[in-house]
Amino acid sequence: MAEQQLPERVTMGLLPYINAHALDEDYAAAAEQRERTATGQRRKVGVRGAAVLAIFAVLAVVAGLQTSRNSSSAERERRELISQVKSQRAAVTEQRRTIEALQGLNRRLEDQLFANSGSSNGLLEQVALLGLRSGIAPAKGPGVLIVADDAPDAESDRNRVLDSDLQKLVNGLWQAGAEAISINGERLTALSAIRHAGTAITVNFTSLGRPYRISAIGNPDQLPARFAETTSGQAWLDLQREVGLRYSLKTQSSLRLPGADVPQLRYIEDENGKNKFGRDEE
Amino acid sequence: MIAIIGLVVGVVIGLVVKPDVPLGLEPYLPIAVVAALDAVFGALRAFLDGLFDDKVFVVSFISNVFIAALIVFLGDKLGVGAQLSTGVIVVLGIRIFANVAAIRRHIFHA
Repeated sequence: MAEQQLPERVTMGLLPYINAHALDEDYAAAAEQRERTATGQRRKVGVRGAAVLAIFAVLAVVAGLQTSRNSSSAERERRELISQVKSQRAAVTEQRRTIEALQGLNRRLEDQLFANSGSSNGLLEQVALLGLRSGIAPAKGPGVLIVADDAPDAESDRNRVLDSDLQKLVNGLWQAGAEAISINGERLTALSAIRHAGTAITVNFTSLGRPYRISAIGNPDQLPARFAETTSGQAWLDLQREVGLRYSLKTQSSLRLPGADVPQLRYIEDENGKNKFGRDEE
Repeated sequence: MIAIIGLVVGVVIGLVVKPDVPLGLEPYLPIAVVAALDAVFGALRAFLDGLFDDKVFVVSFISNVFIAALIVFLGDKLGVGAQLSTGVIVVLGIRIFANVAAIRRHIFHA
């Protein structure tokens, strides 16, 4: 039959074939040949065999050594890198501390310089006052804290706080005698804008999240009453009543307002045509 | 007896000399060791079967090592080095297991 004539490696699967022929067939062939030449004796391991075994041992040992050496050197490199990262990080921290110390020293020296020269004493006070009024310097004092928020389960812009609502609120506070105002930590200056950008309200180009916390420094005894008298205050009371915006006003004995970023003045000049802030006109 | 002496001498040489493997040959060393292991177990089985032949052992050892390294080398050149190494290891592994099973039968008669 044709099936029986096929060689084994055709009829068997690959893996069973490998399994069945694990021993090199040369051994059987060599043994057969020995029998034919009638030496007949079982061969022992000779010098050549021993030499090959020695080579095998060398190979195995070298491979093992190499592997362990590689893994240990990789581990060493990793540790080296970690220690480098750590030392660099420490160096950065150190330098940052130096910067802080130097900045503090700078400020102290500046103050001393101004304080020592009597003529500039007034200038220093003026700078401080201007910083407060313009919103560049951090300010603290008593005032009111207003928290405004969208109506509960607001569905449309009708019952959400809009940029115009905040503008009204802030303008009303200025009118009522507030001296410094910030919204969610953004100090308002003469150059601040309250605008809608997409869905969020931005102040000083920073997006705000609701609720909106408006801190205003001013006379806490007068500010709430005078605000309620302004048209903006009335408008807000209406908003609260009509569309359900949430609004609360509390007086605070102490508020802290951050300073705003110093804007770059490009066009403003003093009477002599010089830009006081040192930016040379081209 | 001489076989064991050969093994021990080889281990000692390897440990004492600690030869540095050239970087180019490093990937082929492990596969060569596995191929050599196959030849050694085949020889042990043949020895127990009474079929051992020095010359066949030497030739099978050298050809095994050389061919295994060559296959991996070719695989590396073709970009399938890892897959071919796996294939070589599988085939050699099966042979080693089969030979070790035969050796076990010889030693424990089970």
